[in-house]
Amino acid sequence: MRKIFLSMMVLFCLLPLFSVGAQGTPEYKFLTVYTALPESELPTYFSEFEKDTGIKIQYVRLSAGELLARIRAEKGNPQASVWFGGSYDNFVPAAKDGLLEAYQSPELANIPKVYQDAMGYANPFYVGAIGFACNTDWFKKRGLSYPTSWDDLLKPEFKSQISMAHPSTSGTSYTILATIVQMRGEEGAWKYFTALNQNIRQYTKSGTTPPMDVGLGEAAIGITFSHDGLKPAFEGYPVAMSFPKDGTGYEIGCMALIKNGPAKEMANGKLFIDWMLSKRGQNLFETSKSFRIPVNTQATPPKGAISVDSLKVINYDPVWAGNNRTRLVEQFNKVVAAANNLK
Amino acid sequence: MRENTRLSVAHLVRDPVLLFLVILVFTGLFLFILLPLYKIFSYSITTNEGKLSFQAAWDILRSRTYLQPLKNSMLLGLTTGILATIIGYVFAYALTRVDMPLKGFFKTIATIPIISPPFILSLSMIFLFGRNGLITNKLLGMEDSNVYGMHSLVVVQTISFFPIAYLTLTGTLAKLNPAVEDAALNLGASRGRIFRTVTLPLSVPGILSSFLLVFIQSMEDFSNPAVISGNFSTLAVEAYRTITGMYDMRGGSLMALMLLAPTLIAYVLQKYWLSGKSFVTVTGKPTTSRRQSRDPKLMWPLFAFCMLVSLTIILFYGTVLVGAFVKIWGINFSFTWAHFKYVMTLGWTPLRNSVVLALASTPIAGLLGMIIAFLVVRKEFPGKRAMEFISMLTFAVPGTVVGIGYILAFNGKPFMWTGSAFLLIMAFTFRNMPVGIESGTSTLIQIDRSIEEASTILGATGAVTFRRISLPMLKQAFFSGLVYSFVRAMTAVSAVIFLISPRWNLATISIFSLFESSKYSDAAAYIVVMIVIIIVVIGGLNLLVGRLGNSGTVSSGGSGERA
Repeated sequence: MRKIFLSMMVLFCLLPLFSVGAQGTPEYKFLTVYTALPESELPTYFSEFEKDTGIKIQYVRLSAGELLARIRAEKGNPQASVWFGGSYDNFVPAAKDGLLEAYQSPELANIPKVYQDAMGYANPFYVGAIGFACNTDWFKKRGLSYPTSWDDLLKPEFKSQISMAHPSTSGTSYTILATIVQMRGEEGAWKYFTALNQNIRQYTKSGTTPPMDVGLGEAAIGITFSHDGLKPAFEGYPVAMSFPKDGTGYEIGCMALIKNGPAKEMANGKLFIDWMLSKRGQNLFETSKSFRIPVNTQATPPKGAISVDSLKVINYDPVWAGNNRTRLVEQFNKVVAAANNLK
Repeated sequence: MRENTRLSVAHLVRDPVLLFLVILVFTGLFLFILLPLYKIFSYSITTNEGKLSFQAAWDILRSRTYLQPLKNSMLLGLTTGILATIIGYVFAYALTRVDMPLKGFFKTIATIPIISPPFILSLSMIFLFGRNGLITNKLLGMEDSNVYGMHSLVVVQTISFFPIAYLTLTGTLAKLNPAVEDAALNLGASRGRIFRTVTLPLSVPGILSSFLLVFIQSMEDFSNPAVISGNFSTLAVEAYRTITGMYDMRGGSLMALMLLAPTLIAYVLQKYWLSGKSFVTVTGKPTTSRRQSRDPKLMWPLFAFCMLVSLTIILFYGTVLVGAFVKIWGINFSFTWAHFKYVMTLGWTPLRNSVVLALASTPIAGLLGMIIAFLVVRKEFPGKRAMEFISMLTFAVPGTVVGIGYILAFNGKPFMWTGSAFLLIMAFTFRNMPVGIESGTSTLIQIDRSIEEASTILGATGAVTFRRISLPMLKQAFFSGLVYSFVRAMTAVSAVIFLISPRWNLATISIFSLFESSKYSDAAAYIVVMIVIIIVVIGGLNLLVGRLGNSGTVSSGGSGERA
């Protein structure tokens, strides 16, 4: 008994020793990355990068919103050098709050201007289009065809069958909202969402949930980005993507240097961003089975992924979307509340 | 009043061990609870330009986005709290007071639910009762069952949290001196009457502790509502989404801090209710062994109830177990080991980290919990109430905010601890010890102070008395505290989001990420491995704590020396 007591006390006093982290070597071959890409994709990029450069990547994987909060809280003493992945609209507030280091890769020369960050912080590296994840079993059983326009979603046979994230809690869903507003004007958009509300099964919290709902049979259709929508399909769930022919929005996946990150990692961070944007890095979306669409015009889009050119893409303006966020989301809340009262 | 303070100060000075402990505990509480909370609070009310402003706080207090989720959270907390306490009490009563078959089985089953990262239960719920669910769709042929909402949340939370009630109440009931009940029995009272007039009133401290612990947990629960609440929004999730979805860290933190209000009210009410009442039944006088009821009219209904609850738990966990061994959960049920291979290769490091950190924090949290319980119930010193109060604070705040508070407090001079194992261990310790404190206090309230006084009079120092007299009597509470801190450290999700680092990545974060990529079976395999590890550790703790003394009663109180 006494021994247990004593050893616990000793343990307690020794604890601070654990806090001494690994220290760097003179020739620094490490890079710390915060990433929002799914864990399963990461080994592909990171091990290939290590093969090419000898730099070992250490990472923390969280959702983009979590990463932004974390980088914000760590502002006084940032722990990572590169923020890798997450939609551009996460990078807008980060840049505004002075959390990012301005860096534009030379590789951006091969990347169309429309995807680029006018503020000069974010480096776009993939595009994901908004589409409809459909439960193939559900459609087969009822002999229905997949929706191919935004108005198709309003059909009565989809009553209470559509899953969509709530724009107040999800970046994905805010992109959907902003897309509809830009396609139809504000009046038209509110009319559309009032009608759509009849068919909504649930407004999920997170943007990755709708395709999961579809995979599990909880909903027939999920509105989502193509790379999220195809994930359940890749795991073997009965999910297929269809796209609205009347135009759709997209997210631009970005990466950026974190301001005041570990100084010895700075060069490695730039190297990683350049590498990921090069033809070599961009062609890995095929290997990683991520269905992301590369933005480098010299890269080959992965088989099975939807090429941005083959879609009718509307001119989605992320800066405008970012600036109008609060107002649009509040209006959305009002519209949906009113529509629910009519039900 | 001043006289009292001077007396207690004098008492402190005379007893250096006590003084040391009080200072140690206060330093810990200040550093790892007050400082982070202060940092996050001052961050929330400071504008970007560095000016103080209560405008944001005021706006949130008045807004629907705060009030509706607050109401929902309260309703959910009360419902789950009451249900879980009732189930926990029935279990504890049946297992300590009634002679019935399969006790070992029930004991094991009742502790299983605290083990899993809770969103896996929500997933089971969807697989069993969803639109495509095994029971609702395949068995009952329902097309349109609705699994999202408060009803599912109540089921899942009750299953996840009733073990805390069970563990706390077992401590209380096992400590309740049988002589009191036996006396009533000898005087001719019926079992029912004894229960109503003796057992139940004397277990009130345990009942209130249980309810409080479940209520708080339900209020701050993040992972279940995040998966299964549908349109029923709770405050903890709303605060998290405000931070990560609206990019509003100030507003979200404030919402989460305001979650403290209902919790603190419940806490104060509980203390007020208990104050001035005596629950002492352990007095140091010899006790006979407890006679357990063999009445079939009592035994069979209790047995049926325990069986029903156990079968429900088995159903939920069985679903996870099956999920871990099938190719595609819900679609292709052919057998495979692939998911375990995945866990053993790619998932091994985070799993090992989780075990190491949880093991490191467990003894500290357990011991600290007992020390605080002991100090608060038995000793007089200035700041006693404050100590009791502060130690409960981080337990009640949603993990997200604790995590952000820790970064703000420990990511700069003088405390450069972010990304270190030390900080994670401290976060686990100070967040998880309240269960130990609660079960420790409710046990100590039952034990007559004169037993410890006798030891002191015979010349033992305060430390010796604590170690040889109090701690052995606190055995059951100590065990609950240890088990609970270990499990909670292993399964924490929202608090560690901000504290993990490349070196110290944790299993729950990997599981959540698998879950988000629809890799349900890999997540399930992870959970299964985790459950096995936790069961092994609980077994070990049981052995270790068992050596603190043969039974918790006074007659064997001195045998702690054997360890």
